[in-house]
Amino acid sequence: MTLTGRFEPSPDKGELATYRFYLDGHRRILETRCAGLTPEQLAEHSMPPSELSLLGLVRHLARVEHYWFRMVIDEHLDQPRLDDDDPTGGFRSIAPTPESVAEAFSRWDEQIAYAEACLDGLADTDLAAPRRDRHGEATCVRDVLVHLVEEYARHNGHADLLREALDAR
Amino acid sequence: MHTGELATYRDYLDHYRGVIERQCADLTPDQLATRAAQPSTLSLLGLLRHLAMVEQTWFARALLGITDEPRLFRESGDPDEEFNAITGTRDEVDEAFAAWREQITRADAWLETQSDATMAEELAFNRDGRVATKREVLIHLIEEYARHAGHADLLRERIDGRIGL
Repeated sequence: MTLTGRFEPSPDKGELATYRFYLDGHRRILETRCAGLTPEQLAEHSMPPSELSLLGLVRHLARVEHYWFRMVIDEHLDQPRLDDDDPTGGFRSIAPTPESVAEAFSRWDEQIAYAEACLDGLADTDLAAPRRDRHGEATCVRDVLVHLVEEYARHNGHADLLREALDAR
Repeated sequence: MHTGELATYRDYLDHYRGVIERQCADLTPDQLATRAAQPSTLSLLGLLRHLAMVEQTWFARALLGITDEPRLFRESGDPDEEFNAITGTRDEVDEAFAAWREQITRADAWLETQSDATMAEELAFNRDGRVATKREVLIHLIEEYARHAGHADLLRERIDGRIGL
């Protein structure tokens, strides 16, 4: 298994385009890590004692996309977080059924579609624009986008080992 | 939180160097060398050695153009030597930390010479003629550190149960 993708240069050298290239690349890595598995495998805590699962990662990252794009960049902090009633942030144990898997992926796709529309409305000149997070802390569009790349990357590190434990892929 | 481009990259790179340092802290050489996710040969010590190599490859070789110094952990010809050739001695751990810190010091000295205005500058990174900007090299380094920190999260939890480092 290759644990790190080889360095691939971004075709567009602009700053926003570079962030989009990496964000998109990490979404596809997670998709690849989940491909071809049964609902039971997707929900399995395959690196115990960690309670992480690939399905939990998909649910968590839908929530991450929703929070940073809709609530922070688009400034809808008044809206509830996705899965607001889940104290585990998406990692709560889920019944491993085809329905729960389909629902998790369709919610992730929905949030990605929203994020892509949000990104289409941005330009390099917007990257230093100030924003607030839900704790009232100052941030900016650039900081949010770099954060998203590293958060996806760290979770893909989890996904690498969760998948390897399932089928040594 | 900084709003400038270079300062943002430095914040995240420093953050992840700190994460790796904490993930490797308070463990014995044996624990650091443990292959906690078998069949993978990954260990925390292997990741530390790998990241020393990554810093050398990108900062020293690609960005500073220093190509005449020996590459770290490349004595045996095994392309995964930094992971595979580990015995777990105190000397080996000390050597890995020293190599990593030495590369970081040199990397930071180079970063001091840069500014937001240099981030779009291009460098040849491969013989095929493709180019990378300094910006994408730095973003790549952040995501590579982050991904390995994800590996280290699960290794550390298996070694002594520590999470959230």
